[in-house]
Order: sequence, then C-alpha cells, then structure tokens
Amino acid sequence: MELARDEYATHTAHDELLDRALNPRAAAQPLFDYLNSLHDGELAKRQQAVDATIMAMGITFTVYSEAGNIDRVWPFDPIPRVMGRREWESIQAGLKQRLRALNLFINDLYNEQQIIKDGVFPAEVLEGSGNFRPQCVGITPRFGVWAHICGTDLVRDKDGTVYVLEDNLRVPSGVSYMLENRQVMKRIFPEVFRTTNILPVDDYPAQLYQMLASLSPRDGEQPVIVVLTPGIYNSAYFEHSYLAQQMGAFLVEGSDMVVGADDIVYMNTITGLQRVDVIYRRIDDAFLDPEVFNPDSVLGTPGLMRAWRKGNVGIANAPGAGVADDKVVYAFVPEIIRYYLNEDPILANVPSYLCMIEEQREYVLANLDKLVVKPANESGGYGMLIGPRATQEERDKFAELIRNDPRNYMAQPTLEISTAPTLVDGKLAPRHLDLRPFVLQSDKLYATTGGLTRVAMRKGSLVVNSSQGGGSKDTWIVEDAA
Amino acid sequence: MMLARVAENLYWMARNLERAENTARLINSTTHVLLDLPLGASFGWANLAEIAGLDDLFAQNYPEANEESIMRFLIQDERNPSSIFSCVKYARENTRTLREVLPAEMWERINSLYLYVRQNAQAACGNRRERYMVLNEIIQQRHAIVGLFSGTMPHDEVYQLIKLGRNIERADMTTRILDLHSAISFPEDSVVRESLTERVWMSTLESLSAYQTYRRLASMHVRSSDAVRFLLQDMRFPRSVSHCLSEMESSFRLLPKSQQLQQLTALLRLKIAQHATADLDAVALHEYLDLLQKQLGEIHNALLQNYFHAWRDSAPQVDRLQGEIEFAQQ
Repeated sequence: MELARDEYATHTAHDELLDRALNPRAAAQPLFDYLNSLHDGELAKRQQAVDATIMAMGITFTVYSEAGNIDRVWPFDPIPRVMGRREWESIQAGLKQRLRALNLFINDLYNEQQIIKDGVFPAEVLEGSGNFRPQCVGITPRFGVWAHICGTDLVRDKDGTVYVLEDNLRVPSGVSYMLENRQVMKRIFPEVFRTTNILPVDDYPAQLYQMLASLSPRDGEQPVIVVLTPGIYNSAYFEHSYLAQQMGAFLVEGSDMVVGADDIVYMNTITGLQRVDVIYRRIDDAFLDPEVFNPDSVLGTPGLMRAWRKGNVGIANAPGAGVADDKVVYAFVPEIIRYYLNEDPILANVPSYLCMIEEQREYVLANLDKLVVKPANESGGYGMLIGPRATQEERDKFAELIRNDPRNYMAQPTLEISTAPTLVDGKLAPRHLDLRPFVLQSDKLYATTGGLTRVAMRKGSLVVNSSQGGGSKDTWIVEDAA
Repeated sequence: MMLARVAENLYWMARNLERAENTARLINSTTHVLLDLPLGASFGWANLAEIAGLDDLFAQNYPEANEESIMRFLIQDERNPSSIFSCVKYARENTRTLREVLPAEMWERINSLYLYVRQNAQAACGNRRERYMVLNEIIQQRHAIVGLFSGTMPHDEVYQLIKLGRNIERADMTTRILDLHSAISFPEDSVVRESLTERVWMSTLESLSAYQTYRRLASMHVRSSDAVRFLLQDMRFPRSVSHCLSEMESSFRLLPKSQQLQQLTALLRLKIAQHATADLDAVALHEYLDLLQKQLGEIHNALLQNYFHAWRDSAPQVDRLQGEIEFAQQ
C-alpha cells in the first residue's frame, strides 16, 4: 500500500498509525501487514464496494438545502483508526470519571448549589448559562443522574496527549454510524477480522436499552420505551430510526403522545392510549414541552415536564442536563472532578481562557491569531473562529463579539490534532481526526469500546463535522502484543 | 402494540402505491381504447378525470380537457395528489417514517421507483408508445415491491395494514376502470357499436391483467354483463372487488377490535354478490359503480376512526358505524 510520502514529508502532527519514521505503530502492524498483502487496485475495488454497501444499507444523514432535504450518503474511509487496549482502558476510566462528576455537578446546581457556596464554581457563570432550566430546580431524577448519554469529543495533540475537547450532554449523535461502520468493515474486509483481535462494539444498543429500562417508574414490568424524534427532516433521523429498531423501541413524534390529567404519558396506538415509561428524547429542551418551554413548539408534547416532575416517566437526557454542556463550564471540569470525587482527572482538558475574566480576555484579544475562539452554547462547529486561519477582518469581528458578550466566549490554543492514513486518490494521506466515545450512566456506568472516529476529508482541514464535509472511519481497539 | 401514526402511514403507503399502479393501468386501458375507436365514436377526455374522481381538481387547473392535458394531470402533475408521481412521492415519504418496521430493502425499492417516475414522467405524458413502456415499467417495479412484502414480511399487524390499504384501493380502482365506458360516446350504427363495445371490454379486462383469466374462468365471449360480473363478483380473481373485500375481511380478523369493520366489509361483499349484473345499461352501471365507491369510502372512514383517530374521540363513531351496518342490512 502506497503512502502519500510528499504529504507525510511536511507532516508535523502525531499520526495515529505511523511513527515518525513512517513505520506502523505496534497496534497497527497487523493492519498494515494485511493492507500490504492486497494486490494493486484491490483497495480501490474495496473502496467502491464500501460506497455500494453504504448506499444499499441506506446509511444517510439529511442535509438541508434550498432544493429540499437530501439524504446524503455518509462519507466513509475504509482505513480504520487503531488503538491498543491498554491505552483505551485508561481513556475509558477517564470518561466514566468525568461523567460521574458532571452528573453530581448538575444535580448540585439544581439543588443545594454547594459548589457555588464553597467558591469553586462562580455564580456568574451559572447566571449567564443559556442551558440552565429554572423549571428543573429542586428535582433529583432517579440515581441522581441527569446526563444518561454523553458523547465526549477527544483529540490527540502533537505530543501524543489525549485531550477532552467537549462534553456533549444534550442530544449527542453519531453512535449509529459507529455501529454501521463496523458492519461495513466486516462486509468488505472479512479476512482481517480473523487475523486481528478487534474488540466488538455491537453491545451498545443492548446497553442503551438496559440503561433506559432502569429509568422506568414501573418496577417489575416490561417498560414501554420510546425514542422521541423531531421527525424525518432532522439531520439525525436515520439514527433515531436505527436505534429504535435496534432496541425494539417505538419511534415516536411529539404528536404521538399525550399527557393525561393523571400526569401520565400515553402514546396513541391502534387500540387506544398506552402508557409510556421511558422517553429517549432526541429533541432539545426548548422544544420538549410547550407548556413549560417554547410555547410555539409543535415537536414536543404538552405536559411532559409535569409527568417527569411527578416521577411518572423517565426522560433521557433529563431536561436541563445541558447546563454542563457549555464551553465555559467545560473550563471548570477538572476542578469539578476534584471537588466531587476527590480524585485527580484522568483525562486532560485543553487549556482554556475565559473571556469573562478580564485578564484572560485581554490575553485572548491580544492573541486572536494564535487561538481558537468558541461560543459557549453552540455545537456542530458553528460560530467558531480559528485564529491562525482567519482573516484580519474576521478576527476584528470576533474581537467585537467578545467585548459585547464576554461570558459567551472562551478560547483555546490551536492544537495540532492528530491524523491517520486515509485513502485519497489511491494513496494513504494524513487527515486530521477526532474520536467521540459514548458514555452511559444510570445505576452503573458504561463506555463504548472506541467510538466514532470523525475525519476531515479535505487536506489540512480540522473540521470533522458531518454537516461540514467530514467523514468517518471504523475505530479498532485491539489487544496489545504480549 | 402499534402506534396510530405508524399504522396510518403503512395504510397510506400501500394505498398510494396501489393507486399509482392502477392509474397506470387505467391510462393503458384508455390508450388501447383510443387506438380502436372507429369513425363516428369519440372519447370524452373530461370524463376520464371524472372516472378517477378528480374532475373538479382538473377543471381548476386546466382550461381544456384533451389527451395532453389529461395525461399530464394524471401522470406527472404534483398539484394532483392522485397523479402517479404524487402517489409514488407520498409513498416514499411514508416509507421514510417506517424504516424501523419494514424490511431494509423496502426503502431502496420504493426509492428507486420514485427516482424512475421522476425521471420518466415527462416522457410518458407525450407520445403513446413511450407512455405504454414507462407505465408498464412502473407496474413491474410495483410488482417487485409487492413480491418483497409477501416474500419477506411476517404476517403481523404491519402486514395486515399494508394488505388493507392495498385491497381497499384496488377495489376502488377496479370500479373506476370498469367505468371507462362512460367516457365513450358510441356511434349510432348498431353493428359498429356492438363490436366497439366488445373491444372496449377487452381493453378493460386487459388493463387489469384479467383477459386470459376471464376467458378461462368466465366466458369465451366478451360480453358486458359477464365482464362486470367477473370484475365485481368472481372470488377467484385477485383484482375483483369481492376478492379484495374478502382479503380485507381476513386482515380485519387479525387486527384488534375489528368486529364492526369485519361486518361492514362482509355485508358489502354480500350485497355485491346479490346484485344482478345482467341488463345494466351504461347509465345504470355508472350509478352502481358510484354507489360502490361511496360504500368503500364508508369502510375507509370507519377504519380511519377505529384505528388512526380512535384516541381523539372514539365513542360517537361507534354509533355512526352501527348506523351504517343497519343501512347495509336493509
């Protein structure tokens, strides 16, 4: 298999599969042995098979455009990202630690607010939070857990350190692509699964089901679990449908449910109303319940919050959980871990400058050409400034935005995020990537084996979001050599 | 347990696909008839829209009824919710919301039918040869979809709702295709008239893929009374109205709280069996077919209330349904 040596020659980032001398790292050696055993042109043939397979399996995401909504095929790269099991297990422990602390933090914010009283977390950050829901104050959901499903974005810097980039606690998506990517790989490279010990990923739907079932208010009965989707025009509709199918849950829209005067949630079936026990909601807080949040929402169901507050239905993630999914709160997570767990964080945070703090803001404004600036409450890579690649005009515009609303911005040094060999024009070229594992918490904690690797398909690009031209790879956690 | 919305989407998906296929059949039959029209006979294009139950909508959108405008209206026009393209488009939208209850290939099949119609509808509106080829291809792709249903789906509630949608639409469209005669003004000469009548019936039977079966099971002679009897009453032919009703009865039996729907359907079938088809002239036939369409519409409404809108307001509908049954028994 031929490397794009010209691209690797000027390459300075850490590569996940190749060392500095461009030899395969230990975990990736069996993969390269296999790739090198393929005939010329074989890989290209398999790449075509990938495209056909994805088309046939109908793995798509929806792109909004003026010409109507288009189901676009999920771009997939056939070269997997490989990581050794020992390293992965340490990351996994860090992910669980992080979610445990974040849930204690959220529950504290909606109840005693001890962390603010103890001076560890500033009250003004909470006051400026766009995702704090006063309607949730005083509630402690089952197990004290608010964020049951977390998608944590990880990147690796030049020196090999893995950093947490953000914690997605609202409605993280992408797990269906992680599962489908593995299915695609098994179809097109069945041989390599015999020779390499690749840990399976397919227990996620069962784990998700168990987690959701544990939230059911009716103990001892088979719970009725639904996936609440905004409908077919949502970009992640494929995933909603896929997860419902995998779990044997009902895929519902807000208008399929009603909340009775008894504060119990029902869905409309062909035989009449049936009680709903647990809602895996894939719509934002604001649209969940027009009685309490956005009154114009037609996506949600009036009365859901009443039913939830009474403990008559489980909702995952709990309304209000997004308060900890905020780029300013992010900067405090290491302190949050120490405060609640009395442990040192296992996973590193990217050093962050908070524009609400005057001296940090001055530093940010003086160094806009070196920093990445992010708004607190956006996701999907929208509204960001990548300083070193921006024009002076764009930087001036951001300086203005920051001065007008400092609480809403934070900045981080530009990381040189790692790459992995990616099939481009028949050669393996370095492309930047991240990793989104999914962590579940109810009465117990679970993290996926690996996660979704997203890759920026364009040369030099750091944007991995599918809505902005990113693709994905299968992620292999393999047994380390003895 | 099945969501009412899912049930409704399944039912409409099946109806839309069946309507697309039968509209293609109705048009093919018309084209056949046109080729056979002798001097002195003429075809009323406006009547074709009326047969399809779309005369008002057509008149709102087109100044004149001729072959070109009617074909565009029935095949391609998105303003007509029953045009072939609209039906396939809606069926595809229905299917998008049903992926978690349907076999994975279903989406692909329906999607490719949609892409085919979108690409070829324009050509089908123009010349008759292209039209025949495109419509036949649509019918064949639809057969592949039905084959996928019967070959891969478990006979659960999902299956029964699809079967219901398919059969009620098929029964309705068979009565409409039977009504094709009302669109033709026949010539005065009685010899020409008789041979034309026979040819129109042959085309009608052919458009429902019924000609050979008719000759084998019903009669070697193509006669109006036999053809009507065959397409309304013969339980052996899968596009006959009675057969469709019997299929619906068997689906209702496997669905919950369906007793009244079973009764309503069985009574309509009984009435059709007892209704003499000999000596029906064109006007009487047209009126009878209209009546059947209305009664199928009543079953449709009862089904809607019973399964899809039951949760909104169920009590008053039971009374209405009871009234229908009494009416049917009289």
